[in-house]
Amino acid sequence: MAHTSNLKVHLISDFNLETLAHYLANEDGTRLSVSVAPFGQVVPALLQPTHAESTDFAVAWVSPEKIVPTFADALNSLPVREEAILAEIHQFADCLRESQKHFRAVFVVSWTLPLHRRGNGILTLKGQGLRKLLLQMNLKLAEELENCSGIYLLDGQRWMEMAGKNAYSPKLWYLAKAPFHAEVFRRAASDVRAAISAVSGAAKKLVIVDLDNTLWGGVVGDLGWQNLRLGGHDYLGEAYLDFQRALKMLSNRGILLAIASKNEESVALEALEKHPEMVLRLKDFAGYRINWNDKAANIAELVAELNLGLQSAVFIDDNPVERARVREALPEVYVPEWPNDKTLYASQILEMDCFDSAYTTAEDLSRQELYAADKSRRTAAKGIGSTEEWLRSLNTEVAIEELSDGDRVRVVQLLNKTNQMNLSTRRASEQELQAWLRQNNRRLWSFRVKDNFGDSGLIGILSLDIESGVAHITDFVLSCRVMGRHVEQAMVAFAVRYCARLGLEELHAKYLPTPKNKPCLNFWMSSGFLFDETENRFSWRLSQPYSFPEGIKIREVSPQGDAAPRSQAGVLCDAENESLSLHTD
Amino acid sequence: MTMDGIKSLEPSIKEPAQRSAHLDGVLGVIYESVSDLNMQLPPEQRIEKSLATILFGGGGKLDSLGLANFIVITEQKLEERYGFRIDLTEDDPFSPTSGHFRTIDALATYVSELAARRQGGGTLS
Repeated sequence: MAHTSNLKVHLISDFNLETLAHYLANEDGTRLSVSVAPFGQVVPALLQPTHAESTDFAVAWVSPEKIVPTFADALNSLPVREEAILAEIHQFADCLRESQKHFRAVFVVSWTLPLHRRGNGILTLKGQGLRKLLLQMNLKLAEELENCSGIYLLDGQRWMEMAGKNAYSPKLWYLAKAPFHAEVFRRAASDVRAAISAVSGAAKKLVIVDLDNTLWGGVVGDLGWQNLRLGGHDYLGEAYLDFQRALKMLSNRGILLAIASKNEESVALEALEKHPEMVLRLKDFAGYRINWNDKAANIAELVAELNLGLQSAVFIDDNPVERARVREALPEVYVPEWPNDKTLYASQILEMDCFDSAYTTAEDLSRQELYAADKSRRTAAKGIGSTEEWLRSLNTEVAIEELSDGDRVRVVQLLNKTNQMNLSTRRASEQELQAWLRQNNRRLWSFRVKDNFGDSGLIGILSLDIESGVAHITDFVLSCRVMGRHVEQAMVAFAVRYCARLGLEELHAKYLPTPKNKPCLNFWMSSGFLFDETENRFSWRLSQPYSFPEGIKIREVSPQGDAAPRSQAGVLCDAENESLSLHTD
Repeated sequence: MTMDGIKSLEPSIKEPAQRSAHLDGVLGVIYESVSDLNMQLPPEQRIEKSLATILFGGGGKLDSLGLANFIVITEQKLEERYGFRIDLTEDDPFSPTSGHFRTIDALATYVSELAARRQGGGTLS
């Protein structure tokens, strides 16, 4: 288990990877401590890494002809049996799967061939042509690793293409046993960092865009929506259209979109709704601030309204003055330099790696709808007097289920990406979480929430570690989407009741502060638990009941197919196994 | 990419006042290569943009990988600048007495003369 600072990366290869190590260590961002296995020791380094105890990630970058010896025969134009190649890849994949127990994640670089290896040009994609074999090999490796949640295949071919014709350097190979130009390693370092960021849950979640000359060409207030440059038989209109399509693609992946624009709101909204070629309509945006106020203030409001942290946001504006203002006022917001050339807008955003995510779940794909439901909730709240009244009107239902196979991906994703309502900010891979749960005195539940406005999906995690009559909350995680709707209290009440039924004496929650989880502290300070400031620990005597919040229905679900209650070596024999019991508090 | 310490590696030794324009052109390419190289090196291995900087041999900071990267980067930049390929590993480059990797000065002089020969006695600009 690891936190997101001072991460350790181990590089494994059959060639010299020192240049990659230097780039990884030098680059700005999360500080990485990089070690390099002696080259040529690929299998021992994967299976018995000397740094295993404390290393978070491994990068395995191996030459295809070294790890798949039959491919070396193919390089020498000897006839080969494809089954032999596939069997050798299977062995390598076994080795990678085995290495998972040592690392939080393993990044494997796809195989490439030097450009000068043209094989028998006309036949290179036929029969046993080299390029065809290599395509098959990469595909086989990808298939072998498809269901390994802690192993990711990185696209090495892209680095070669970006480095150009000098990507392979025979001179570097002969002088230093490094086959690639430094530019390849620089690109690789950038992608490895993006991968670490994705696995650590640091992906950006929100893109805030300007309108005039960013989303469309021209100033809508001057030209009217009919005369904007968007689509049509116009090269710039097409460029803006492609930029909107790129944003829509991000939205389809679960990245939220929002608008911050200096404009008359009614004029801008009319353009969004009426322009016939507009790809992004108002419904595609989770929120907007269209007015003449300071953009930094507008962005801060928008981000707060969406219950996100500023570090989750990206701001895109064609105006360098606005970009500078937001960078200065909100340094946590990522404000990329933006090209003057409008034809580069789409490629610029498609190339950004800050949205890379290690998982895609059903909730990701419907995030825009989830936020639209939130917007409806907020609108409804305006017509209702007190907060309590509003919460009651939502008819919230919380479903609680002990961790099931079907939820594992989403739980790991939530654990690794939630920053604000997160007691300990523990980060863990699926394997690490499974290993942690193997002890019988540990439990983990997922929480789902739905109400009149829709289903928010799996949004909470609670885990307990029970020792000597005391239960310790290890994870208390709640998505920002439902913060403040008393789901937090319901989670605590559930934990208290569960522990009380086991006859335990106390429930403890130790708060580990990070720069981002102050909202969690605020909640616990108001929870009624006793706070021990020296230990940063909240505690509750389990002889006292803890009330479930009013107006929330609690539904406890038994994991499907898990009919037998787990034997708990004493302390957990009385584990609740109530199936589909419905409580209304 | 962290720039800590890189700025302090800008030219610090007073250059001779009279250098030919083409030698200055070559030196410019070499200093660009030094900048690129320093971006990938750990701070303690970064080298100064100075005529006296030792590239290979006693007192030098570069290890073999650093020097190899420097050679490849410089060859590529020279090709981009002058339009033809120069092999910097020719002519006994690592000789402690006459090798052109003794210092940046020696390398600039070597490249300048070699390129002039390639261009049939013409000058580089």
